[in-house]
Amino acid sequence: MVSTSDRPAPRALAALGGRLATAALTAWAAVTITFFALRLGTGDPTASLLAQGLATPAQAEALRHELGLDRPLLEQYFTFLSGLVRGDLGLSLYTGRPVLRIIAEQAPSTAELAGLGLVVAVGLGLLLGIVAAWFEGRALGRAAAGLAGLATALPVAFTGILGLLLLVGLPGSVASPVWAPIRRLALPGLVLGYASSGAIARVVQAGLSESLLRPYILAARARGVRPRARILWHALRPALPPAVSLGALEAAYLFGGTVVTETVFSRPGLGRLLVGAILQGDFPIAQGLVVLAAIVYTASHFAADALAMTIDPRLRGQI
Amino acid sequence: MRAGAPEWLSAAWIALVVFASALAPVLATSSPGQPIGEALLSPAASPPLGTDALGRDLWSRLVWGGRLSLAISLGAASLTVLLGTVAALTAAALGGWPDRAVLWVSNSMLAVPGLLLALLIAAAMGPGLPAVVLAVGLGGAPGFARLARTAFLQVREEQYVLAAQALGAGRAWISIQHLLPNASATLLSLATTHYAWAFLGTTTLAFLGLAGDPSAPEWGTMLNAGRANLPYAPWLALAPGLAISLTILSVHNLGEFLARRARR
Repeated sequence: MVSTSDRPAPRALAALGGRLATAALTAWAAVTITFFALRLGTGDPTASLLAQGLATPAQAEALRHELGLDRPLLEQYFTFLSGLVRGDLGLSLYTGRPVLRIIAEQAPSTAELAGLGLVVAVGLGLLLGIVAAWFEGRALGRAAAGLAGLATALPVAFTGILGLLLLVGLPGSVASPVWAPIRRLALPGLVLGYASSGAIARVVQAGLSESLLRPYILAARARGVRPRARILWHALRPALPPAVSLGALEAAYLFGGTVVTETVFSRPGLGRLLVGAILQGDFPIAQGLVVLAAIVYTASHFAADALAMTIDPRLRGQI
Repeated sequence: MRAGAPEWLSAAWIALVVFASALAPVLATSSPGQPIGEALLSPAASPPLGTDALGRDLWSRLVWGGRLSLAISLGAASLTVLLGTVAALTAAALGGWPDRAVLWVSNSMLAVPGLLLALLIAAAMGPGLPAVVLAVGLGGAPGFARLARTAFLQVREEQYVLAAQALGAGRAWISIQHLLPNASATLLSLATTHYAWAFLGTTTLAFLGLAGDPSAPEWGTMLNAGRANLPYAPWLALAPGLAISLTILSVHNLGEFLARRARR
């Protein structure tokens, strides 16, 4: 009987395993860097409590002991890592509640915003990209390309303010319940999605412009395929894989954009939790959020790679 | 490659901002920190631009704010360009493991979006202007280093570098005498686009309240403060927001123009 290990592993699986190992290594590096940057940077996280008169020196000393800050750095690091593996991110300095529970409470709000943002980003990105390529050189095409360019350059803080002003200008009071869902979710999602749509539009436009010049488009034209079908089916399909993997990456970047969007619209969520924790000096929350974000980013990079390899088999050979 | 209307308009706006910032003490009609009258006066009632929620002159705050915003973003961008260029030049000149190390470090830093990296540094240092400069400056360095490395590697393939090597020139000599000057057009366009990024980054962090003093005249901080009175005094948010956006767009425009010209 031949042992299975004698057979060479399929190349696709080997490539995927390689990416997985790299992703795990990057996540570990990010967690380590975060841990040491925060320990060496802030010095003593209880100092802010003392400075604000929220704790007496004796209480601060007790808290330092409780947090394990009086132990050697390396020991703290391993305690933190073993806690992380068990899903324990420590307690908030101010409320004393588990960090993981606080994060879990705020996560749905951010996920909702980021989800809508992603839908808008992909939809708008495809639309702007297709229009820009289809009407290239004409006014409509230039307008679409311009809108896509503005999307990447304009600060989310400013587009958010413009959106809010638009809402103020709408008929009826801003406080009226009719506009509540728009103000709460639709507008923030639109603002966030627009910011990310620029990059997607650019990739779609570049891909379309290139594939429209290919011989198979000429062949489709010779066969009498209508222009609309030619663009939307024959030319767009080969232009999609790079847009798809970019979209997967944008999904990760959207979580960064939510930080600003949540502040503009005064929406609860992870972004505001992080900014608030930094401003207050609530060190375990900031640490937990950055560490979780680093893990999510590396995971989505891996997912984007895997997705690209599924769509384009040629990528499987490259490890 | 000639500059068209967009490039000239962009350059004109940047010149205006630099000019106004340099002459802030002369152009400002009053102190940016002291109330001059009633709060929330409209631009029509109190020329030139009205007052903010604390009765401070908006025009004076804008002019002084430009000075602060420019200074912070220039500090951050200088850090990015300096760190990025040194790392890229070292990588391109030495090759081998230093090259791989620079590439690995910048790639793993790029795996995390710039804003999160900036927030991590702000968290480590605590809010304040030094944290903002360092956070945005460091956050931009890996991207700059990777692109600059590519530019240096292209120059390294040129015949005159080979000729210099054949004549026995050392790596330091080649770096300073050949790589740096011949990649300068690309470096300039990279520095310009990274300045747009630095301006966006610093004003965004200030908008989030991480620049420390919430009453400082700084465009991002002012944009955030303007949110509170949006329905009654939209100009308080619109003025700094427009100033930030126009500056970023202009620098971006010039950066793309320089990039097209560097490619010839």
